[in-house]
Amino acid sequence: MKKRRTEGRVSASFRDPSGFLFYRDGAIYRQVNAVYEENYTQLMDSGLCEALVDDGLLIPHEEVDVPPPEPGQAFKVIRPERLPFISYPYEWCFSQLKDAALTTLEIQQRAFDCGMSLKDCSAYNIQFREGSPILIDTLSFEKYREGEPWVAYRQFCQHFLAPLALMSYKDVRLNQLLRIHIDGIPVDLASSLLPFRTRLVFSLLSHIHLHARSQKHFADKAVDTEGRQMGRLSFRGLVDSLKSAVKRLTWQPEGTEWADYYENTNYPSDALQHKQEMVAEFLTEIDPENVWDLGANVGVFSRIASDREIRTLSFDVDPAAVERNYLRCVQEGETHILPLLLDLTNPSPGIGWENEERTSLLDRGPADMAFALALIHHLAISNNLPLDRIAAFFDRICDALVIEFVPKDDAQVQRLLATREDIFAHYTQQNFEDAFSKHFVLRCAKILKGTKRTLYLMEGKHSP
Amino acid sequence: MEHFASFIKVLFVLVSVSLLLPRPAHAYLDPGTGSYILQLLIAILFGVGFAIKLFWKEIKGFFRNRFSGKGGHEKAQD
Repeated sequence: MKKRRTEGRVSASFRDPSGFLFYRDGAIYRQVNAVYEENYTQLMDSGLCEALVDDGLLIPHEEVDVPPPEPGQAFKVIRPERLPFISYPYEWCFSQLKDAALTTLEIQQRAFDCGMSLKDCSAYNIQFREGSPILIDTLSFEKYREGEPWVAYRQFCQHFLAPLALMSYKDVRLNQLLRIHIDGIPVDLASSLLPFRTRLVFSLLSHIHLHARSQKHFADKAVDTEGRQMGRLSFRGLVDSLKSAVKRLTWQPEGTEWADYYENTNYPSDALQHKQEMVAEFLTEIDPENVWDLGANVGVFSRIASDREIRTLSFDVDPAAVERNYLRCVQEGETHILPLLLDLTNPSPGIGWENEERTSLLDRGPADMAFALALIHHLAISNNLPLDRIAAFFDRICDALVIEFVPKDDAQVQRLLATREDIFAHYTQQNFEDAFSKHFVLRCAKILKGTKRTLYLMEGKHSP
Repeated sequence: MEHFASFIKVLFVLVSVSLLLPRPAHAYLDPGTGSYILQLLIAILFGVGFAIKLFWKEIKGFFRNRFSGKGGHEKAQD
């Protein structure tokens, strides 16, 4: 089982000459380079850093007396608060990306009031901490240079506005383009995919369509902007326009396969309650620090863990389910649960330079405990996965596992088999137990009331 | 809206013709030439739009204070 990296430079931290992140003795640090001294000093002395940290918009940090990895370039070493899990924009639902965009613009406006500006606008610089978006890159600020346009404008449009517009006007699944385009969706691609009516929306006309035309027009031209300046009011107007554009974009999570699951399913209510009680009992027994709920739907079982203040990732493949889950988190002010979009049959890979800039799901684990409730039949039957491969996968991503076996004569499995040949002779409870016993100790197995389903508590044989 | 789009296009061509010599941007991130120029071209529109928005908020704030009887001179909040 792979453990988290605790030494060396962070693989995603190489673009910005202002500094870089590194691990030492299990802690994370950031070297601030001498070239960034003036900007760092203004960030701290202007009170901007303190104000943003106080309002939960910027990750807190402290200056530490730790030897820098590259002393020749170093100005300071700081220790930012370490987040327990890093998620990526292609794992966020519509409202998560929208909230991240609005947080970025709010920070930009606050920075401008202090004579500073964001020099980059990567969505990867935003993370969800205790349920809210927060900027994690302390070195994203620079002194505002009078008259210059916003250097991060293109990146903001690519990382936030283009995907949000595509999700809102075309198809919510188009956020997956972020997985291919690591520096955001090119505005010319967004412009070609968006419907014609978006040209009648002034903000999208200017920030996407004219933006794309302008990029094409100037792609192979050397230009001089001497004498042409962008005043402060125009700068504020640009950011305000982006904010209005983002606020107007909406998406309603309706009409998808799983979002209405608990309302529409004929799952017996006493079985549901029994399952909830069992999950609670297993949590008490294992006492994990974190839980990954795989196939969480709208997070009914995730909340059994998060309500106990266990950090819980609530994964689902359905954008509508993740959206509903996130909106509930916001509404209830929940701080221990993070809904994320994940296709377990094709989990987030390592992408970017050397496949290491954005790490794979497996490299961000393992979890202390995983839930795989009403999931096994989707993996084994819908996705033709052999049981031993499923067991080996779970062994890689968690130390303890709560898993529900759904037998072939269950109504939900019969539904999956209704339109296809049954080639799953191996899909039996005995084979399931044999496959998982190779990797896990089967601690407990209980049949759920009113069903033929069995809920198991398992512990990895190699767990600490 | 169509007239407005035409206006933008004309403005775009006119200003772009006047831009001839290279000048480096002071940033590690490439702002993108087209993105940079676009901001300069439409800057005045955003500036005017923002000024009108602020002015309108001031007017609304003034009347709200006037009719709510507070009579204060608080600046309209964004």
